[in-house]
Amino acid sequence: MIVAQGLTKRYGDKTAVDSVDFTVPSGTVTGFLGPNGAGKSTTMRMILGLDRPTAGQVTVNGKQYAKLAAPLREVGALLDAKAMHGGRTAYNHLRWMAASNRLPKRRVDEVLDLVGLAQVAKKPAKGFSLGMGQRLGIASALLGDPGVLMFDEPVNGLDPEGILWIRNLMKQLAAEGRTVFVSSHLMSEMALTAEHLVVIGRGRILADTDMRTFIDQNSTNHVRVRSPQHEALRDLLNAEGLKAAAESDGSLRVEGADTVRIGNAAGQAGIWLHELTLVQSSLEEAFMKLTADSVEYHAGVPGLHEPAHPPQTGAAPGWGPPQAAGGWGPPQDPSGSEAGR
Amino acid sequence: MSAPAQTVRLPEGDAAPEGRVGFGAFLVAEWIKIRTVRSTFWTLIALAVVSIGITVLICSLSADSLAKDVAEGRVGNDEHPDQFLTVGAAFGQVAALVLGVLVMSSEYATGMIRSTLTAMPRRTSVLVAKALILLLLVFVVGTIVAFVGYFAANPFFENKDIGVPLDSPGITRALFGVGLYLAVLALFGFALALLLRHTAGAITVGLAMIFVIGSVVGLLPGEWGEWVAKLMPGNAGAQITTARQFDSSALSPWVGFGVFCLEVAVLLFFGWWRFNRKDA
Repeated sequence: MIVAQGLTKRYGDKTAVDSVDFTVPSGTVTGFLGPNGAGKSTTMRMILGLDRPTAGQVTVNGKQYAKLAAPLREVGALLDAKAMHGGRTAYNHLRWMAASNRLPKRRVDEVLDLVGLAQVAKKPAKGFSLGMGQRLGIASALLGDPGVLMFDEPVNGLDPEGILWIRNLMKQLAAEGRTVFVSSHLMSEMALTAEHLVVIGRGRILADTDMRTFIDQNSTNHVRVRSPQHEALRDLLNAEGLKAAAESDGSLRVEGADTVRIGNAAGQAGIWLHELTLVQSSLEEAFMKLTADSVEYHAGVPGLHEPAHPPQTGAAPGWGPPQAAGGWGPPQDPSGSEAGR
Repeated sequence: MSAPAQTVRLPEGDAAPEGRVGFGAFLVAEWIKIRTVRSTFWTLIALAVVSIGITVLICSLSADSLAKDVAEGRVGNDEHPDQFLTVGAAFGQVAALVLGVLVMSSEYATGMIRSTLTAMPRRTSVLVAKALILLLLVFVVGTIVAFVGYFAANPFFENKDIGVPLDSPGITRALFGVGLYLAVLALFGFALALLLRHTAGAITVGLAMIFVIGSVVGLLPGEWGEWVAKLMPGNAGAQITTARQFDSSALSPWVGFGVFCLEVAVLLFFGWWRFNRKDA
């Protein structure tokens, strides 16, 4: 269990994390969600004692991180895949970490097997791909068999295979009863793994709730209905007291209704229907709505409904609102990770 | 990198020992760290090759003229054979300084520092563990290098009947002194890296302090100029590395070394203070 109370971090006159309170409950996957620059990484670094809070405090299992008897046995963290010396082999990197917390040497081989790096264990880490570096980071997080795990943007820059692997891993870890705290700027990614959500924007907590409640409170549904008797249907629905608006694609958008009521009304009036769909606004939209004011760097306003394309590497400022892409995140987006700061 | 792992069965880890992970574990971890990067190996090889090589070279080349000087009774305090037997250390010291810098600056350059402090969040203890390992390693290697240099170079003198036996005054002190001086010099680089967090910056400042400024201040006029020159870290610390002093105005070996240690301690204190307060 991670508990933050009044946690604050200021850099000069810029407030990165602003008096934040939240709780990461034990035995769940808790998503830590927010746009880039919202303060996710800073918060995670404060949990690990890497950054000193300007005010407030945060505890893991009731203690400040630095006061833990053997930190790696209680908390495993993957903040960024590059927190290692490129000239050292994967094996030796894990070897010193194990020694520092008096973990048996055989744990090194166990976690290397676990993440599938046994073959390259004796190779220097600088030759590793991003995905391999990420696996090595996860191996070091699992080294002490900890009850609490933290991952900062773990799928950033990974290929689909790597993303699937991490997703399964997090579910598995939670199924084993561990506490998993994972940050992301991708709502869609969270929707697949997290049960609990902490949403942060501009250094403030916008929501701290379970996933179901978050969706219920923040997403709006509408019904899309299509009929060859377009005008007749619209008049009918309006007469029923439902707000039906014509969409540019020739369908009708009915807010605050359910499919049964519309279908029944149309049937009784003898109106043919070609489509009757309940459209659940994506979590992405709910998240965007919630954080609309808290995105630190606006880059134009890409439409919510158009399929968003990941920014091209290099040219595009990768800040913008979170990508509404299908859960992969911007490939190799250099500014997508706050962790490397 | 084949199929994604479907299971994460973590075998039961050994039961955690009672109480905190101690300082001993930090020492072991830092020892593993320092010996598993190539830069350590290469800087120490450079230290050995340069120090031993130059000592042997200079002794072999100067044996003739030194023998002549001794025979004609022209040997004073600053041209005595025993001074030449540790002369290589003056060149090997660059490697010790660089190693000391790298031990700390590479943590920042590579991002390792975040792993280090995640595994060992007690910062003062980590710093002490790191410094101790560095100090011991360079002392042992430096002392061995000094003795090897002595045993390799002295035969050239013995051939000319000006050999310096191991029990002649000051010689063992000078040989161990090389190890001591190089070890504290490495710590000097370590402290600079801690303050600057930058490899090239720390090496530049370190080299400038020892070699450039250390020599230039010798040109300062008057008594205070002489004192400044005496107290410069390299000038003060290096006195312990020669059996007889080249410069009669310099501090005596142990006093000089003490001054040097004090200077490094002050730098370390500021480095520690910064390390403890700053974000990693």
